[in-house]
Amino acid sequence: MKKTVALLALLTILFSCKTQNGAVSLFNGKDLTNWKMLPGKVPGFEVTEGNLVTTPPNSSDLFTEEWYGNYVFKFEYLLSEVGNSGVLIRCDPENPWGTGVEVQLLAPWTPYRDDLHCTGSLYGYVPVHNRPDETTGIWHEMEIKCDRNIITISVDGEITTIANTDTVKGMEEKLLEGAIGFQSNHSNEGEHAKFRKVSIRNFDIDPEYVARGFYEKDVRVREQAYRSARSIGAPMVGHLAEMMSEGNITAYSGAKKLLFDLSAEASSPDARKDMRNSVIKALKKSSRKKSYTQDVSDYLERLLAMLTSDSSLR
Amino acid sequence: MGYPLITNACLKAIEDTVPPSDRIRVAHIGTGNMGGAHINWFTRFPDVETVALCDVDQTHLENAQKRLASVNPLAKPDTYTDFRHIMDRKDIDVVTCATPDHWHALIALMAFESGKDVYGEKPLSFSAHEGNVMLQSIKKYDRIFQLGTHIHAGDNYHRVAEIIQSGVLGKIHTVRLWKKGGSPGLGFPQNEEPPKTLDWNMWLGPAPYAEYTPVRCHRTFRYFFDYSGGVFGDFWCHIADIMHMSLSPKGLHSIDARGEIPTDGIADTPKWIDVDFKFKDLDVFWTTTPPPEVEGAEGMHIGAHFEGENGTLTCDYETRRVTIGNEVMNDVQEVAITLPRSPGHQRNFLDSVKSRIQPESNLEYAREMTLPMHLALISFRLKRKLTWDSAKERFVDDAAANFLLSREYREPWSLPTF
Repeated sequence: MKKTVALLALLTILFSCKTQNGAVSLFNGKDLTNWKMLPGKVPGFEVTEGNLVTTPPNSSDLFTEEWYGNYVFKFEYLLSEVGNSGVLIRCDPENPWGTGVEVQLLAPWTPYRDDLHCTGSLYGYVPVHNRPDETTGIWHEMEIKCDRNIITISVDGEITTIANTDTVKGMEEKLLEGAIGFQSNHSNEGEHAKFRKVSIRNFDIDPEYVARGFYEKDVRVREQAYRSARSIGAPMVGHLAEMMSEGNITAYSGAKKLLFDLSAEASSPDARKDMRNSVIKALKKSSRKKSYTQDVSDYLERLLAMLTSDSSLR
Repeated sequence: MGYPLITNACLKAIEDTVPPSDRIRVAHIGTGNMGGAHINWFTRFPDVETVALCDVDQTHLENAQKRLASVNPLAKPDTYTDFRHIMDRKDIDVVTCATPDHWHALIALMAFESGKDVYGEKPLSFSAHEGNVMLQSIKKYDRIFQLGTHIHAGDNYHRVAEIIQSGVLGKIHTVRLWKKGGSPGLGFPQNEEPPKTLDWNMWLGPAPYAEYTPVRCHRTFRYFFDYSGGVFGDFWCHIADIMHMSLSPKGLHSIDARGEIPTDGIADTPKWIDVDFKFKDLDVFWTTTPPPEVEGAEGMHIGAHFEGENGTLTCDYETRRVTIGNEVMNDVQEVAITLPRSPGHQRNFLDSVKSRIQPESNLEYAREMTLPMHLALISFRLKRKLTWDSAKERFVDDAAANFLLSREYREPWSLPTF
């Protein structure tokens, strides 16, 4: 028992270190690099004194240029007296509320808004179970963790909301990856919300995290992991070869298909040479492993043969 | 089975009319599904003697014996689970093959080499390269081969070919082919011990080794790239047949396939596939859905649509619809009947066995007709447009695509070289 506790403690330390190390800033304090607003709408944000600040009400929301599926998104926010904003997660900017959900950021209004619509709630879908400090005019820290079907919201270091998207009515069809957006001023003229220290740790660039997605029962989650793994490329090869050898049929099948796709991509006459070589190198390394069954070794050998077949025919 | 009942005495009488020296001694390899149809078809001919049945699955073999007995109680076939015993027999004239695709070429090749003619199920072969080897072999050993695309023999395809070739539609510039439906995922079933009645290693044959699970085997094998090419590979030969029969398109130079494979199971052949082919002077489009701009296509699960300078023709196995100007008709009276009609696909083959003149869906024709299907699946798998040199029969500047034209066989099996 003691050992387990020690191990857990160690893992927690390791994990949290990695969180810090793996996070990247999304806001440089100077301009809107990494962000975009909807064309044709009044811009809803500007950079003032190193902060992202909302401007006129009901103008364009601000979206990340990249799409993200699984991550820890962290930032600080400050709301004016009756400020109303929010964070849109896993959304398509063309239809953010339809495709994603909003993590609410709201001053404690009169009339009082319930736990399903207050700061930290997944607005209209999942209430807070631990209502956060809603004091306006001061900076708070929010952390949004999207880990496949589990979404966890924390404010000022305390978890306020845990949502299992599989069991929330209306969330089954939401996107599993999308842009992250800050909602523009949703209150009266003169009110505002400010944001700073915006960072993300993207789980979908971590081969180990992505590999675990291949074992998931939900086909959409597996498809998302497959897409992420495809963008990761060569660093996935070893994990995929392992998966093929373990006896989990779901993971075996996804791994077999992706190994082919990665090899096919690397075999393209248009493929970058370093990308191609890194896939070849990874396949070679895996194909030399003695612990794999014959069919797995043969499969890897065949992919290698496809990638290294007579270059005079190219 | 829908066949007229005939008494034993009748059968005996029929058999007696054909002297033993004129009888064709037939062995059936692969007796499930289509193999059952082979037995029904062939044993009904008075000049056929069904002398052997072979299947790697003893359950299939027992069912095949019962099936044969119900159609022709006088037949006394020998039964085998290893087809090589059939190849060893000098008294067998014809082999029919209804195994999964990955066995088609090797069985035909071994049959040719041992002096037998072959009626082989579609598709012709698992890989493009196998088709070439088969062609070399049939020439060397001077054998007869008919691909089992039995739709070919019907009046409709012959009439369509006559209308297209008559020029009444003008020059044909575009052909649209389609087949609804694609590969199911088949779920993620656990591997299991193969049944005692099945020789799984022999079933796999030249294909890569894989653990057994029922959906990999009978019937649904088609949804695995290790053994077949999915719905597309299955039906291409039926519907592209009418295009090749009518136009014999030449000079294929570009193949661009798109699509997806299932994510909800172990199957890996196309869930849907669309392909653009460019032949010399002819554009060919394959789609998994009927082309929306073709009237009447929606209700057709499979079809071909020819677009000419003066009109169009839409057909499936049994029907055709010709549009010239505002006029829609199912035939064009002024087009003369010029093509000899088939006496039936199996009869056509048996006649060829006797006459030594190749049948309608002979190997040379079948190979050319099947080749675009193989190339499209390579484009699909590599997810890129490919350029083809139809004179050299190689992809241009794409070593991986050329690599996929063939597949190394699993030991102890090997393809002969010529």
